[in-house]
Amino acid sequence: MTNDLMLLLPLIIVGVGAIALMLASAYKIINNTSAALGSALVFAVAFLVQLSFCLKGNAVLFSDTFNGILVANTFSKGAGLVILACGLFTSLSSQTYFKQNDFCSPEYYSLTVFAASGMLLLTMTQELISAFVALEIMSLAIYILVGYNRKNVVAAEAVLKYLMLGAFAGAFLTMGTAFVYGQTGTTQFAKIGQYIAANGFTQSPAIIGGAFFILVAFLFKAAAFPFHAWVIDVYDGASMPITGYMATGLKTAIFAVFANFLVADAQLHAGWITFLFYVSVLTMFAGNLIAIGQYSLKRMLAASGIVHSGYLLIALVAVSTEAFSGAVIAYYLAAYAAGTLGIFSALSYLSGKDEKRVTFDDFKGLAKVRPYSAAAISIFLLSMAGIPPTAGFMGKFYIITSAIDAGQVTLAVLGIISSVISMWYYLRLIINMYFYEAEESFADTVPSSLASACTFALAFCVFAISLYPLAI
Amino acid sequence: MIHSYLYLSIILFCLGVVGVISRRNVFTVFMSIELMLNSANLAFIAFSRVHESMDGHVLAMMVMAVAAAEAALALAVVILLHKHKSKLDTNVFSLLKG
Repeated sequence: MTNDLMLLLPLIIVGVGAIALMLASAYKIINNTSAALGSALVFAVAFLVQLSFCLKGNAVLFSDTFNGILVANTFSKGAGLVILACGLFTSLSSQTYFKQNDFCSPEYYSLTVFAASGMLLLTMTQELISAFVALEIMSLAIYILVGYNRKNVVAAEAVLKYLMLGAFAGAFLTMGTAFVYGQTGTTQFAKIGQYIAANGFTQSPAIIGGAFFILVAFLFKAAAFPFHAWVIDVYDGASMPITGYMATGLKTAIFAVFANFLVADAQLHAGWITFLFYVSVLTMFAGNLIAIGQYSLKRMLAASGIVHSGYLLIALVAVSTEAFSGAVIAYYLAAYAAGTLGIFSALSYLSGKDEKRVTFDDFKGLAKVRPYSAAAISIFLLSMAGIPPTAGFMGKFYIITSAIDAGQVTLAVLGIISSVISMWYYLRLIINMYFYEAEESFADTVPSSLASACTFALAFCVFAISLYPLAI
Repeated sequence: MIHSYLYLSIILFCLGVVGVISRRNVFTVFMSIELMLNSANLAFIAFSRVHESMDGHVLAMMVMAVAAAEAALALAVVILLHKHKSKLDTNVFSLLKG
């Protein structure tokens, strides 16, 4: 009982913290800075609690009360750590970002924490309807954060697209759940797995159709190939820190629940392997093609997020249902989060007033003026491109080896080819920063700030994560 | 008997999908999404009857609560968009080209 409470404590801290921040902002007893520090504190405390509690194996939380819908294991804990770290860095870099952008209010930070509570719940849930509820807790907070700049028509358009397509995907998730419930009489992953193991996956059209709808909803949220078009516009319209948050925290939560659902049963996973194979290949190459054509840095990073979803789908294809640990997925998510969050926190203080610097050309000669920032950005880009000794390289290495172990050699080779293609757009920014004369002085950037501290902490993380060994 | 409810639910879902894809008015699109969610609710209730348990009813209540929250946000977004463009045609919103 106490044990269960301890495992649930990070979620409780984040939930209570979000509500407290929302009440405090409603009664106007905190200003923007203290709200930023308050949300960072909530994230930091939850992170430490999550970290302090060592965990091996599956612990079903409050199995009598919750009927086994929440399960804490090493994977959910690892994903939770990544999410809380994403939240922490997002709040800190938002604080700096809002020194040059004036649409902030304390509710912004409360919503960041609310989104994190949805994400944490999503990593732990083992049941379809609670997954839907958690998904919506997360998404509703993120929708508001995307359109937070109410005066900006681009942000309004981004939130329209995101809300329309996100709610559409949510409707597919509920309909899929209804089908699965109709056939199996349950919505719990474990019991669905037992039903499929007993009766076979291909025997009933309701389960195939239901699982397909659920997969569509998850693929949509993860921005995989046929459902990737929204991601570029939405990331473009959102503010810098929120774009980073969506690209990392949200993706971590989605892939956690996706993996938990897929490994419910070996036949369920085997039935979708061919589908996921093509989706992951097309996601990687479509993302690369889009990223090569972009002039805006934010849009390039959005497209590269699609490519990274493709790599994560490789890991999902290769995942073993018998001995599922999720270590490869959690490791890659951590590595990717460090790189992406780092670059977005650097952009939070470098992009200037109202995000005026957004294209590749705007960052020409940055290395001459801000050598340390340019070096940090280069480290993040090299990590995302997968150059050793960075975390991104180790993440890709584990994913490719897990694919080869699972007998998916073609997929592994295509993953490596896609990784080579992706150098094109990552190195383009490094070339722009280092091999051109500075066209401007970058004088209006915030000199020393929380965002720059975050950037350098994350640059350190990129190397620290790569040194952390992973037992496969 | 139970099949009729399921056919109705599937027809409503398909109507919702068609509405989201073909309609150009933001309001109609959100209404179509609500229709999709409610068709899932109907399916939950019908299946609940098949299994002779109350689970489906509880799930439908959950979905309704979430749909209400989503509708509240959707209406706020509609007002925001109307303030910007004084129109609710999705063709007007074409600044971002993905």
